[in-house]
Amino acid sequence: MAAQLQRGEPSGVEGLYDKYGRLAYGLAYRVLSDRTAAEDVVQEAFLGLWRNSGSFDPSRGNVRGWLLSIVHNRAIDRLRGTTRLRKETQIEIVEQVLEAPDTWETVSIHLQQKQIREGFAQLPEAQRQTLELAYFGGYTHLEIAGRMGVPLGTVKGRMRMGLEKMRSFLQGRGVTA
Amino acid sequence: MTSLSCEQTDDLLGAYALDALTAPEAADVSDHLKTCAEHRQSAEELRRTVSLLSLAVDEREPSPQLRDRIMTSIHSAPREPLPAAAPGPVLVPIRRAPRLPRWAPPRALVAMAAGVLLALGIGSLAGYRIGQTNSPTNGHPVAYQFKGGLLAPTAQASLVYLPDRQQAVLAVNGLPPLDPGHVYEMWLVDSHGLPSDEGVTTAPDGKITVQMDADLSKYREFAITIEPGERQTPTSQPVLRGSLRAGSA
Repeated sequence: MAAQLQRGEPSGVEGLYDKYGRLAYGLAYRVLSDRTAAEDVVQEAFLGLWRNSGSFDPSRGNVRGWLLSIVHNRAIDRLRGTTRLRKETQIEIVEQVLEAPDTWETVSIHLQQKQIREGFAQLPEAQRQTLELAYFGGYTHLEIAGRMGVPLGTVKGRMRMGLEKMRSFLQGRGVTA
Repeated sequence: MTSLSCEQTDDLLGAYALDALTAPEAADVSDHLKTCAEHRQSAEELRRTVSLLSLAVDEREPSPQLRDRIMTSIHSAPREPLPAAAPGPVLVPIRRAPRLPRWAPPRALVAMAAGVLLALGIGSLAGYRIGQTNSPTNGHPVAYQFKGGLLAPTAQASLVYLPDRQQAVLAVNGLPPLDPGHVYEMWLVDSHGLPSDEGVTTAPDGKITVQMDADLSKYREFAITIEPGERQTPTSQPVLRGSLRAGSA
């Protein structure tokens, strides 16, 4: 699919949508909680991916991660009502997994999702809430401090510690870049 | 713009990775990262972790019209080049706590399976082409033939399934030698794409002959991976894999 995208074949987008469309929509919906807005974001994301696919190099990254980063950024932008300059095309910061076709890729995806959910679930409640508010809610650290009624330093600490724990948990299971 | 110390940057790095800083704060951190390799690396690692959070969501079914809308829009949209990106990070395999192997070659079943294969005109458990497609649900023995991939190009496997017993015999040869501490691990993949651990072996002489107790009609694929000890989930690409949807009887 990545190669098809690179060659400018629309079938590459179709294949991507069939494989990751539900995940992309699930992510957009998790952020926006609105079906129409989530579908608009997914459509924009696939269109953006298509427009920028000319120089996509499959050897450099994972097209799934690239797609999801676009979906997330656009969903948060829509939530915030902003169009901030983002690094959505920097695929080197996106996680890389084995590029494998067919069943085995599906297996890899399911395994990763399972591990990531477990990693999220094992975080202390306050850290998990803080990460959720920031990543899925699009809130800044100042806004989160206000919502949670805790000092700003506490929020910054929870973000850092939560991410470090997630990283350690996932790294221990090989699910990280 | 404020020049941040390493200590100040460290304090902001989690929020920076989550894109949860104000724009001036983010600019200050970005400025610090230009000259601080240590924090640049930390920020990148945290960013990678953040990128994985997108996989924590549940998949949802969009409207059936969305696919058409997307395809219509891309057919009328020009493509643009991207700036070159840096090489991607190195893959780290999934690791799980090891468990004890539970495979053993059952002589009687091997003999029975060999007989089935002979009756099919195959000649041996490691034979080649095996006839026409047949359903594994009609009670007749079913045989599958798999060939190794790039990681084990000389590997060949025959799997004979006995539906009435819900048992199968696997015979593999031509597997490459393992590094010390590694094992070959067998997997059955169900219709949802989830793998089931079917045990491990070291495959001395590159050969495996084992019994599996499983209802293969519930699985769509068989695979073998190389693992650093038995794992609950695969950590590497299969050295050999094949569909269980079409066998021969």
